[in-house]
Amino acid sequence: MKQLKQQLRAMLLRTLAMSYKELMHILRDKQMLGFALVMPVMLILLFGFAVSFDVERVPLVLVDQDHTPASRALADAFTASRTFEVVAQTEQPAEAERMFRSGAAKVALVVPAGFAKASLHDSEAVAQLLVDGADNTTASVALGYANAVALASSQRSFAAAMGRAEPPIDARVRTFFNPGLKSSVFLVPGLMVMVLSMMAVMLTALTVAREYERGSMEQLFATPVGRLEVMLGKLGPYFVIGEVQVLLVLTLGVGIFDVPVQGSVALVFAVSSVFLLAMLMQGMFISVMTRNQMLASQIAAITTFLPSLLLSGFIFPIDSMPPPLRVLASILPPRYLVHGLRAVLLRGVGFADVVRDMAPMLAFFLVLLALAARKFRREVA
Amino acid sequence: MSTPPIIEVRDLSKRFGSFQAVNKVSFHVERGEIFGYLGANGAGKSTTIRMLTGLLAPSSGSATVAGADIASEPTRVKRAIGYMSQRFSLYLDLSVEENLRFFAGAYGLSGAHRERRVHAALELAGLHDRRRVTTRDLPGGIRQRLALGSALLHEPAIVFLDEPTAGVDPAARRGFWRVIRDLAAQGTTVFVTTHHLDEAEYCARVGLMVDGRLVALDTPQGLKTAHVPGSLYAVESPEGTRAAAALLTDAPGVLAVEPFGQRLHVRVQGSADPLRFQNLLTSRGVLGATFEPVEPTLEDVFLALVGDAGKATP
Ligand SMILES: Nc1ncnc2c1ncn2[C@@H]1O[C@H](COP(=O)(O)OP(=O)(O)OP(=O)(O)O)[C@@H](O)[C@H]1O
Ligand SMILES: [Mg+2]
Repeated sequence: MKQLKQQLRAMLLRTLAMSYKELMHILRDKQMLGFALVMPVMLILLFGFAVSFDVERVPLVLVDQDHTPASRALADAFTASRTFEVVAQTEQPAEAERMFRSGAAKVALVVPAGFAKASLHDSEAVAQLLVDGADNTTASVALGYANAVALASSQRSFAAAMGRAEPPIDARVRTFFNPGLKSSVFLVPGLMVMVLSMMAVMLTALTVAREYERGSMEQLFATPVGRLEVMLGKLGPYFVIGEVQVLLVLTLGVGIFDVPVQGSVALVFAVSSVFLLAMLMQGMFISVMTRNQMLASQIAAITTFLPSLLLSGFIFPIDSMPPPLRVLASILPPRYLVHGLRAVLLRGVGFADVVRDMAPMLAFFLVLLALAARKFRREVA
Repeated sequence: MSTPPIIEVRDLSKRFGSFQAVNKVSFHVERGEIFGYLGANGAGKSTTIRMLTGLLAPSSGSATVAGADIASEPTRVKRAIGYMSQRFSLYLDLSVEENLRFFAGAYGLSGAHRERRVHAALELAGLHDRRRVTTRDLPGGIRQRLALGSALLHEPAIVFLDEPTAGVDPAARRGFWRVIRDLAAQGTTVFVTTHHLDEAEYCARVGLMVDGRLVALDTPQGLKTAHVPGSLYAVESPEGTRAAAALLTDAPGVLAVEPFGQRLHVRVQGSADPLRFQNLLTSRGVLGATFEPVEPTLEDVFLALVGDAGKATP
């Protein structure tokens, strides 16, 4: 018992020694430290201001075959917002298709004859919204807008018909949770993914490889420091840097882009921290495998930039991806961070709801830790 | 002596693919001994040390270091030894004190004990008033002393020093060896490799490696008597030594002729009179050559042995 306690104490001391050393390296390397703190700010300002996914004046062709007050009210609901602009009116769906082809219209609203009648009777009133899927971003955003507009207007007419003051609330409106439909609100969780993954993986990908390159790994392994102690000890200071980045991105998001924080800030940090651990371990794993800084940094860049941009659900919806990519996306941590952060920030969910996002990220961390430890022989040759 | 040797090596070998870097090496080192390990580049010195420090698994053979088996108990080995690797000594971007703090922590030292040991290492390197200096800014000789101090933080029974004086100026080298001798006098075993044959004179015993094999092992004096028989003369000639070398090589009674700096080292049979050779040179037109008796050095031993080994393995 006493011996075990002593052993644990020695392990802790050695791990802390590794953290201490790594911290000193970081503090000496002002350039790197500056980069780690300025890069998140630059990224969020760049993406937040310059790259806007807000969609405006999408050309819409209106196909009204009903000619009733109800059909006109629906059409007005679309044209009232700045999102859509009616470029043509016709009664022929074929005409709308021609306009899609030529690019003159991106969206067509088709109100079939009998729409008003159906909405007065209990049966479902069906209006069709056709969207040109060629422009993915515009399409998905336009769909979202249209969805909200259609629901709102159908609820209004429904309420008017039934003489009720409160329209029944539809669950589909609730899932949207970004009433202003501002893309920057969506961007912040996405930027968190980009910043944390790129920085964390890059920094740890270099650290072990550097020790191999300058020959200090041999010196380290001649001491009683074990491989887990090397890895976990090195993660420590980078974890702290990562937390500072989380704070930076969050502060800028709230301060400049009015991102709401519906849930608890502690939970935001909890979700981000698990992601951070996963990313730090990814870098460590790359470093252990390559033992070469140049190669490690290239692999780090490839394995973080694309997944965090494409497979996180940050810009492109994962559900509409081909199956192999969907599988990949569900293994890699980025989508879970985006999902978890959106849930906490925009919907204000509690711990129980984000555990499902945290668990896969933690699993990713543990699996890579085990793999790296296996590969990380205490041999130099 | 009744205590068992602190290092025992039996038929230790290491192959890298088809290349035999260390070939069935056997020896033992006594407690408190300075053991020198000599050999040309690529002879297998570092590879032997890496196996003895538990960094590299041997291909075959076995060894115990401080009572621990290197293959099955590398962690016990690591606790008992200090190691200065050939390539790396210290983190150059960290300060003197930070390096020492880190290595002390890596050896599991803490609190007052750690401070005491860091203090001792600063003392050994003579860096008390420069503890905040970045290690990169220290001269090479001081840096190596600091590295030695850092390898001794946990007071190991044995230190392995892989070419600790490479690239260090002669004055600093002498200082470094004074420290090594003090260490051994206090009971620490020192296993040291070097390219400087003059340094091997400080060792109690010297092992000589050629192409992965240990071809000789003895005290410096023993090596000289065994491998440099006869009398040794340094020959100088105002017209250069080329012609003299050619003539002497074929002369009867001459055992060996080796270029030695500006001069020749000529080894002759014990009873031969140098005057005879001087006359021979004069009669063949090489005038003014001088013969001066010299003590054989380990370099002579090395030249004799490498020559032999070269013949044995063409
Ligand atoms: N990991 C390795 N893989 C393949 N070959 C190796 C490896 N390590 C060493 N060698 C080879 O083994 C031989 C012995 O190397 P070693 O480093 O032990 O020599 P050394 O005596 O220390 O030489 P030096 O004086 O240059 O340090 C060399 O030819 C070297 O190229
Ligand atoms: Mg070597």
